[in-house]
Amino acid sequence: MRRRLFIATSLSALAGCGVGNKLNDAATSSGFKNVLESAEALNHLVIGTRGRAKLYAPGDVDRDFRTNGFDTPSDATYRGIVADGYSSYRLVVDGEAERKQAFTLAELRAMQSLTQITRHDCVEGWSAIGEWGGVPLHELLAVVRPTARARYVIFHSMDRSPDGDPYYESLDMHEAAHPQTLLALDLNGRPLDPDHGAPVRLRVPTQLGYKSAKWVNRIQLAASFAGIGDGKGGYWEDQGYEWYAGI
Amino acid sequence: MDATVGTTVPRVAREERGPIVYRHTVTTRLTHWLSALALVILVASGLQIFNAAPYLDASDKTDPARRVLQIGAGTDASGGATGTTVIFGHTFRTTHLLGYTDNGMGEQSQRAFPAWLTLPGYQDLADGRRWHLFFAWIFTLCGVAYIVAGVLRKDLADLVLRPSDLPKLWPMQAYYLRLRSEPPAHGKYNPLQKMAYTLVLFVFSPLIVLSGLALSPGIDAIAGPLTTAFGGRQFARLWHFVFMVALLGFFGVHLVLVASTGVLNNLRSMILGTYRVGKHEGTGP
Repeated sequence: MRRRLFIATSLSALAGCGVGNKLNDAATSSGFKNVLESAEALNHLVIGTRGRAKLYAPGDVDRDFRTNGFDTPSDATYRGIVADGYSSYRLVVDGEAERKQAFTLAELRAMQSLTQITRHDCVEGWSAIGEWGGVPLHELLAVVRPTARARYVIFHSMDRSPDGDPYYESLDMHEAAHPQTLLALDLNGRPLDPDHGAPVRLRVPTQLGYKSAKWVNRIQLAASFAGIGDGKGGYWEDQGYEWYAGI
Repeated sequence: MDATVGTTVPRVAREERGPIVYRHTVTTRLTHWLSALALVILVASGLQIFNAAPYLDASDKTDPARRVLQIGAGTDASGGATGTTVIFGHTFRTTHLLGYTDNGMGEQSQRAFPAWLTLPGYQDLADGRRWHLFFAWIFTLCGVAYIVAGVLRKDLADLVLRPSDLPKLWPMQAYYLRLRSEPPAHGKYNPLQKMAYTLVLFVFSPLIVLSGLALSPGIDAIAGPLTTAFGGRQFARLWHFVFMVALLGFFGVHLVLVASTGVLNNLRSMILGTYRVGKHEGTGP
């Protein structure tokens, strides 16, 4: 064991330990950061939102669907909503909308029209397949009528990061209009449980899992990301992840 | 400079110091070094990305029952931390090399590939992805530029392996192993060089790009058959890793041959373009 540590340490010295850190720090604190990030726009342009995620059969479903991101929010407001069986839950839609309104869970249930079995691809690399039921986002948007100024749909979550930053995500109007983009209420035939985002989460099967915000209680239509979080369009985006999460 | 110095030069030396030829065009040299740089960065950032889910499954969705590789950490009988690598169900103790390694913050911890192999060294999936997705474009565009330039120059065919080369593969290997005194007759590139270049240019490089694309949900949505062809998303991730190992294998052999067939002459030809023809002709990297 000691010998192996010696070998590892020697190899590490040989490989110039710290090169990876120094290179990354130098690149991300300089103009080269913009060069590296230029690939995102190119990928968005090339891939776009015209595709359709693969649909799976009931036999492919993971009954014990892995939890992505954080577990159940610990704050009192969320606990209270869970405790009263989501009767005090409201999904507020505001911002650049002609008909701003707040939906109860029962109202969203009444609008439920889509069930799809799709694969959830995590940015970490793992995949799981689930049957998601809920309201196609474009149907909800048709009810609230985005104004001509609306360019983004921002999903605010009832969750906060360990540092206390509010969790949020966003889509542009094209992605929001994608027929498979879903406000999910059900997973595998049952109402979502708190770990999986109850009572309402986003499901964007054409992008990586971090796009699919859980515990959504406010949908804001906006002309830009200015003033929201660090202005990059999402909690994970503010941490350096790509806003376009299709790759 | 060349071999016309005079009759007093011994015959062997005259053979070794042949004429200088212009061997590699600017396009070849540029795409060579750019894709070499891209390959190193792609491997290092790719291992950073791998570390976020340090296992590979031969399946579409994640499926431990079809696991081919898993790198993890545990504890031994005396409670000490260990690193383990499980390949096809066979467990290897790899403490300090894989699984329980340098985390880039000056300590050993649970981490599949050690910090000195990853970019960045410390765990940072977001930055690793930025490096990877940018240099993937550089690697791809270099490969396309190299092939297009070769087609336009009409000499790309020189390095493509043909059925007529197949019987010469072993004689050439025998020559490298000093089991034969002369290499088999061949054109600009010997049969083993042609096999290596053909595999790298037309098999492993395209496949590593395609398998990388196949594991992206956006690509799966617009080109589903691609992901299916690799056996699904997790399988594409496994193939992507396998093709990396194949390219690293080529890279290793390539470096050995660069070093053993006149390292300065080889480097000069790939930097300045000029190469002195000599005893290593046709046996190069």
